[in-house]
Amino acid sequence: MDSITTAASVVAAGLAVGLGAIGPGIGQGSAAQGAVEGIARQPEAEGKIRGTLLLSFAFMESLTIYGLVVALVLLFANPFAG
Amino acid sequence: MIDSPGLCRELRCLVLATTSRCHSVTPLGGMIVASEIVEDCSSHDPLLDIDSLDSSSGVKSDEYLELQFRVFRLTSLLTFFSVGIAGFLYGIQASASLLFGALSGIFYFRLLARGIGRLGTSSNNIGKVQLLVPVILVLVSSRFPQLDLIPALLGFLLYKPALIIQFLSMP
Repeated sequence: MDSITTAASVVAAGLAVGLGAIGPGIGQGSAAQGAVEGIARQPEAEGKIRGTLLLSFAFMESLTIYGLVVALVLLFANPFAG
Repeated sequence: MIDSPGLCRELRCLVLATTSRCHSVTPLGGMIVASEIVEDCSSHDPLLDIDSLDSSSGVKSDEYLELQFRVFRLTSLLTFFSVGIAGFLYGIQASASLLFGALSGIFYFRLLARGIGRLGTSSNNIGKVQLLVPVILVLVSSRFPQLDLIPALLGFLLYKPALIIQFLSMP
């Protein structure tokens, strides 16, 4: 792998993880805030709120995982390495 | 005796905050024992009865555990069929990679569920330990020639169809 490809892969991996984590991070924070407030206001609905939060988190965190996988593929299994 | 619900609520909060038996002096010089007032208040406002909340929390956690178990069962079913089809069509290596990825996905989901279960009780934030699972999966898949990366990643994402099915089947 030549140096330009290596440098571009490293920069792209950093951007993929960094930019890919911004949106899910904000979304997870606001979802967790709403869930904790909901549980505090309505403790009898704790099971449903936690279940919905789990499903929401799994969907949101998959966006982070996509960026993470792209970054790891670029770093450890780069298809452009030649 | 004092019957005002607002005063009862404030005294309940005070008792809960201090968790100690307190005495207060009335303007007329009498003594009020807070715990006696709390006993009277429990008949007015059942939502403030801590014992009833504690007794129903087992039902809530059962509901949450049942949801996790349903998703786990669906993911296992999808994994079983996917591994069989992959083994039939693409060979034993793709099948083993898919199985490894699916097990990693189940482990990731378990860690995520544990983090959410702790939220608000023993922790104020959700840990990111579960994100180490795909990292380890990609590293292992790229290091070992017996495993393929693409089937392993597809197997890891097998929990998502189970989640979608679960989400659609929710009332």
